[in-house]
Amino acid sequence: MEILDRLVNVALIAATLRTTAPILLVALGGSFTTKAGIFNIGLEGQMLVGAFFAVLGSIWTGSALAGVACGVAAALVFALVFAVLVVSFKANEVVVGLALNILAGGMTISLMKAIFGTRGSIVGHGIVGLPKVQLPGARNLLGSWAPLISGFTPLVYVAFIAVPLLVLCYNRTRLGLYIRVVGEKPEAAEALGISITRVRYTASLLCGLLAGLAGAHLSLGYITMFTENMSSGRGFMAVAILIFSNGDPLKVLAGCLLFGFADAFSLRLQTFGYPSYLVLTVPYVVALIALFALSYRARPRVIAETLESMRKLLSVDKNAEPGGKNPQ
Amino acid sequence: MMNDRLRAVSGQIIAVGAALLMGAVIILMVGESPARVFMTLLRGAFGDQEKIAGTLLQTTPILICGVAACIGLRGGMFNVGIEGQLFLGGFAAAWVGFAMPLPAGIHTLAALALAVVAGAAWVAIPAYFRARYNTNEVVSTILSNYVAVLLTSYFTIFLFKRPGGWSETPPILPTSYLPEIFTFSRLNWGLVIGLVLAVGAALVFRYTKWGYGVTMVGSAPKFAEYGGVNVKRQGFMVLLLSGAVGGLAGGVETLGVHHRFMEGFAPGFGFDGLIAALLANGSPVATIFTALFFGALRNGSLLLEVDTSASREIITVIQALIILSVSAQVLVRKRGDSQAGERRWKF
Repeated sequence: MEILDRLVNVALIAATLRTTAPILLVALGGSFTTKAGIFNIGLEGQMLVGAFFAVLGSIWTGSALAGVACGVAAALVFALVFAVLVVSFKANEVVVGLALNILAGGMTISLMKAIFGTRGSIVGHGIVGLPKVQLPGARNLLGSWAPLISGFTPLVYVAFIAVPLLVLCYNRTRLGLYIRVVGEKPEAAEALGISITRVRYTASLLCGLLAGLAGAHLSLGYITMFTENMSSGRGFMAVAILIFSNGDPLKVLAGCLLFGFADAFSLRLQTFGYPSYLVLTVPYVVALIALFALSYRARPRVIAETLESMRKLLSVDKNAEPGGKNPQ
Repeated sequence: MMNDRLRAVSGQIIAVGAALLMGAVIILMVGESPARVFMTLLRGAFGDQEKIAGTLLQTTPILICGVAACIGLRGGMFNVGIEGQLFLGGFAAAWVGFAMPLPAGIHTLAALALAVVAGAAWVAIPAYFRARYNTNEVVSTILSNYVAVLLTSYFTIFLFKRPGGWSETPPILPTSYLPEIFTFSRLNWGLVIGLVLAVGAALVFRYTKWGYGVTMVGSAPKFAEYGGVNVKRQGFMVLLLSGAVGGLAGGVETLGVHHRFMEGFAPGFGFDGLIAALLANGSPVATIFTALFFGALRNGSLLLEVDTSASREIITVIQALIILSVSAQVLVRKRGDSQAGERRWKF
């Protein structure tokens, strides 16, 4: 039990929140595409270019914020290419996603070699990392538990605040509703005159935005460096989460906390002298087990409910849609 | 019929050309001359007989992995875990090679057999869940790659490390070597194994009932089910077979080239094989040519790092661009159907 005490404490929980943030950001991004009916295996690559260009931007401008903006811009370009090929050209999502991941890996290494003359990793060169936000009053309020809410980099807060925002988006906004309908019943969306193309483009770009933030958090968050393939499968873990959560933000959060914990726990096990190679498999094994254990359930589809709420929303500004009156 | 095939091939070639053009732009951005890079690649791949043998040596694992991917793709399965199966197969073969003295010939066969078993075993769980519960095989096989690579590193470094050596196992016994074809190169009979596999797979798909069933399941699962094919069982078998061939690729690489297992011993061959199979549109025979193309790129890239300032990863960029432009070809296929219509990759 003593070992357990040393393993599980405030520091571990804080570390869990930290390691959860990047995977949560990218998974929430993927939530948009999942809800819009796109299987986006390209998250890994978007995250990786986000991480690389965030470092590049940070070096060029000397500002962490500009670095984050650069990372997001790069991820958006990848997301746009994904959308053009998958949505407009109707190419296979898996093929395009995998190719973009491979492209991201090769491109970042090639650029690293061209710009910095090195392979492996970029450290130093004046990379400006994200500052840590000390919430005033956290210490008075929570005492020794303060590290649970204070002292994180801004993107950690962004990640966790994004969860309720996404819930609101899906349930209370027109865009969220459109995304869900396009994903669940594209024929109905088409019949009602919703542009599937436009909605899917929007979802892909929102996804790129969040994946870029996730990447920036990887390279400018707690360690300020870029390493070859530093996203190391987080994008794929996010896809695993999306599969069994069906993109629902709260379930995504639960899945990401599980992986964040596995990640933090494996880092901690390493300091206890367990063989690093075995310990490093823990997050992937957890992801696989969760994927297998949860996938035997059929994915719930709330088409009828969605159509109902959409009809209500549309009847506010349009006269009742005749096409929607035929529930099967 | 022939006209269709001609059009398909010319489409792929145009797509490859477009990708090379985009690659040229990226090479310019990286600050090199595209002409110089492409010439160096060509010289590095086919400059003299040793270079050609080197290209064929690089082609071998890509071809075998490509056949593994083709088997999956034909049955409608994306086995993205070939990389992991390759690593486990490679380790398994090395283990038989250094730990189990056997007579020459039998030793090689035993090592290859265990490589096959290791590859199949590694994909068995994802395959089972895919067949039984429709668990997405793309994600499960990708994630299992990371576990496989770390696991083989663990075996190598913590359990079987060569005393005083790098992160590698002891060398395998000469009785387990895959014999070399020429004296001037390490090019070995693995290439022949790859060619036989590719042609064999093509024949199986073309002429056997089982192969026909696989192709049917891959292209029209509902139809196949009505036709009396046990879709679940067949999906499982297809992934298992694909994994077995992936494991074999690792065994061939260990027994023919490295003669030991080392950490990170064959990075990227599994993915190259998948890309080669995609470019070949799932045809094992066409994969021979696409694998040769990628083998040439790989071998040429060795010279690239010596003679130019470009990184050898530029070839990864070119490969990815090729697949992207091939996938965009739907542009020239049909237009005007419903946006809600199903997107599908044709095989």
